[in-house]
Amino acid sequence: MLQTRMAAATLVTRRASLICRYGSVFVSQQRHASRATSNRQDVDISTYPPERIRNFSIIAHIDHGKSTLADRLLELTGVISKTGKNKQVLDKLKVERERGITVKAQSASMFYEYQGQQYLMNLIDTPGHVDFSYEVSRSLAACQGTILLVDAAQGIQAQTVANFYLAFGEGLEVIPMLNKVDLPTAEPERAAQQIESTFEIDSSRILHMSAKTGLGVDQVLPAIIESTPPPSGSIDRPFKALLFDTWYDKYVGVVSLMAIKDGCIKKGDRIVSSHSQTKYEVSEVGIMYPEPTPTTSLQVGQVGYITCNMKSIAEAHVGDTFYKEKQPVDPLPGFVPAKSMVFAGVFPIDADEFNRLDESIQKLTLNDSSVSVHKETSAALGQGWRLGFLGTLHMDVFRQRLEEEYDTNVLITAPTVPYQIKFRDGTTKYIRTPADFPDAHTMQETVEATMEPYVAATAIFPEQYLGQMLELCTMRRGEVQNHTFIDESRVLLKCRLPMAEIVTDFFDQLKSKSQGFASFDYEEAGYEASDLVKMEVLLNNEPVDALAAVMHRSNVVTMGRDIAKRLKEVIRRQLFDIIIQTAANGKIVARETVKQLRKNVTAKCYGGDITRKMKLLNKQKEGKKKMKKFGKVELPQEAFLSIMTAKK
Amino acid sequence: MGVEHKRITSALLRELRTSLVEHRDKELGSIYFGGGTPSLANPRDIAEIIETANSLVPLAKDAEITLESNPTSAEVRKMQEFKHAGVTRYSIGVQTLNDQTLQRMGRLHTGAEGLAAVDRARSLFPGKVTFDMIFGFEGQTLDRWRQELETALCHADGHISVYQLTVEPGTPLFRDRNAQRVVLPNGDLQAQMYESAVELCASKGFRHYEVSSYAASTESESVHNKGYWQGRQWIGIGPSAHSRFVDPRSGKRISSVRLPDIQRWAQMCESIGHGTAKLDTVSEAEAKQEAVVFGLRMLDGLTNSQFAGVSNGQILEEYLRMDQVRQYVDYGYLLYGGGRLAPTERGLQVIDSILVEIVP
Repeated sequence: MLQTRMAAATLVTRRASLICRYGSVFVSQQRHASRATSNRQDVDISTYPPERIRNFSIIAHIDHGKSTLADRLLELTGVISKTGKNKQVLDKLKVERERGITVKAQSASMFYEYQGQQYLMNLIDTPGHVDFSYEVSRSLAACQGTILLVDAAQGIQAQTVANFYLAFGEGLEVIPMLNKVDLPTAEPERAAQQIESTFEIDSSRILHMSAKTGLGVDQVLPAIIESTPPPSGSIDRPFKALLFDTWYDKYVGVVSLMAIKDGCIKKGDRIVSSHSQTKYEVSEVGIMYPEPTPTTSLQVGQVGYITCNMKSIAEAHVGDTFYKEKQPVDPLPGFVPAKSMVFAGVFPIDADEFNRLDESIQKLTLNDSSVSVHKETSAALGQGWRLGFLGTLHMDVFRQRLEEEYDTNVLITAPTVPYQIKFRDGTTKYIRTPADFPDAHTMQETVEATMEPYVAATAIFPEQYLGQMLELCTMRRGEVQNHTFIDESRVLLKCRLPMAEIVTDFFDQLKSKSQGFASFDYEEAGYEASDLVKMEVLLNNEPVDALAAVMHRSNVVTMGRDIAKRLKEVIRRQLFDIIIQTAANGKIVARETVKQLRKNVTAKCYGGDITRKMKLLNKQKEGKKKMKKFGKVELPQEAFLSIMTAKK
Repeated sequence: MGVEHKRITSALLRELRTSLVEHRDKELGSIYFGGGTPSLANPRDIAEIIETANSLVPLAKDAEITLESNPTSAEVRKMQEFKHAGVTRYSIGVQTLNDQTLQRMGRLHTGAEGLAAVDRARSLFPGKVTFDMIFGFEGQTLDRWRQELETALCHADGHISVYQLTVEPGTPLFRDRNAQRVVLPNGDLQAQMYESAVELCASKGFRHYEVSSYAASTESESVHNKGYWQGRQWIGIGPSAHSRFVDPRSGKRISSVRLPDIQRWAQMCESIGHGTAKLDTVSEAEAKQEAVVFGLRMLDGLTNSQFAGVSNGQILEEYLRMDQVRQYVDYGYLLYGGGRLAPTERGLQVIDSILVEIVP
């Protein structure tokens, strides 16, 4: 299997709380199945004014219990039940979670009675991974409060911190809660202390619970009702809604989750996207209960789904504002079109698999508008694509699904980041493939600077690894900004790193140097001028475009030597010497030779050997057809693939 | 062994008769007793086989009748009887002069016995003795190989075959090599050993006429083996034996193989007269490919007139990928001219790489 470079163990835990929009096609089919049996009469929720609505989310580091708590709340409010026909649903939720798909149904509406009043409680789910911080922020923008859930045994981790700042940035009321207090390893006082010192939240406000056993869970909703402000907005103002999540259902098309900020919406209304100005007609509105349950309307303060005649998920932009036709409103702040941070070339291993791969990619991106797709042709690999992902996890999950679910054999080239060129006339250009990199002449005449994207990273780890972590940061061209102790034994380190250094094996290194204890998070932090070069690979003086790469000058020698060595191992001897060279800026950085073949002849060939010999010959001829040729130098497919694949 | 032995011989004779009866208009150029250890057979049975063959397809005046033998004392003792039975040429499996290696190979003779057998055969079949030598054993150095071959060449008669050790799938050596219990000489050392063989044989007056075959004169070259490489017709008798012949009725070139299991083969011979497992037609395209692939194993190469035998009039220049041929001529691997395509010594050494490129 071709693997991009990610620590496998980490991948598993991360995916456990990743909202995988790829999973929702599967889910929506289930949804539809239960739809047929649910009550088709539209629910009337117009009786819930904003004062009796609470929109909240749960933010937590991976495996700190977010999903379990969500389950508990849904059970508590009767949305799902542990027994009876809903047991299926609950079980399946768990199975899907184990598979790494968090069910969309976790964005759910609940009805709850508190002090004699009926409340509509909307739990809005958030993607759990660093790659999706923009999605997280938009989901949070749909809420007014959030539960900050911390594992009482593990304490604050990198994502706890990252998500807190996102929530804080959106102006949400943060309600801290400690989970897993039932564990023998739990240290609630210590964890509470961490929360207080890191986030300046009074520790006496912190709820202690165990989502698993149910202990303390009954206090959660009351706490939310008391602490979280109700949504603001007015029924009398024109309709205005925030689109914060979306998925594709093969029966009804694109389904959008929206938070209604003003006014109301019902079937038949015509709405407009602020971003694209496209008009749509609403065919259904409703709440997630937990399945899509139609309502007569959705009103200010409420959160629910809207189905309209939107055909492609690419039309649904997370963070977009919707309004009614002829009643435009000021768009909500914070909207940013999805930005790809990591690029990889994707090619079919067999040229005749192209159409199949094309279909598979289309199907997968059907439900994931954050993957950018550009067709690309490589001299060596033929037709393929350059796909842009939000991060390496995003890319890896995509690749795995491509291979597992669509059974396509695909070559993924080493991940790259979008470098930038700044020209003297002020214009900029993105470098997505090495072919975009300007040649020496252009560089000299028109280029002012080459730039690379940076990230602001946070790592949390036990203090004995501080030295290692600092070293890792500096080794990767990073700049340490500060480090603080978040409790008596753990350090929070903030640093700035080039994104190119993150997309390969940085994470693995981080984990291995900290014996697995470090947790890590990052976000984009702009571009900086950087000394970039294009490394070329030559075989008997012919450049191999497909192996060229753009990188920081400091990495050229190591990478150059590595590629030359790897090529030497996989290139088979031919009837002439083969000279492998890697070069940057016109200078050779590494060289290897594959000496010509000295002997290749079958010793014995008599009567009985003829048939076998001829079979072998013809098989070799077939094999030759699959060889990639660079000038006269042949490279067998597999060898080539092993070089092209993300390595280390 | 008695009953079985008789049964097998009868089956062989039956199959022989059935197969040769269709080719009575031809002449038998050679007979080769090989595959297994024919020298363990009864010389009288060998005689009967030769006579039966001759009665159906008359032997040529100077027909070459070869018997393969191991140099064990038992087999050496029978040489005279085999000569009496009609054998005209002896092929001895010396393999190596290194006793340790022989033991590891499971051979029942020593290096000295090997050479002694060759000497004995030379006295009975002057000019008609050949033997096999193998290089590329585990732990063998270039120097030791050269010494070994030089010694062997001192005892050589008119012909010697020198093979690189070939590792066959399914054998203990194959498994050992894969498990890295055994480390064989690397590619470059093998190449040097091969080159040494060419050099040493040449220095003793042996002409390198085929990849692994060296002859002191044209008369000493193996008639039977050349039949394979030059696309003649041959019939194989016995389990697993291969055949290539032109069906006299259809005029088509046929390739066939006998059943591998000796019991089943014998049964089939008894019931229908032969134990053929598989029979195929050789298409013109296949025959042309074979002509080139095997023709180029010989230093004389292949001529247009030889090629014409299977090409239905097409000449080499029209058939081969000439751009590649010309390139290899430039490299010094091939010679082409006067209607003949032949490898140079250097080309022969890497001929398998070349063949894949020049054959369409």
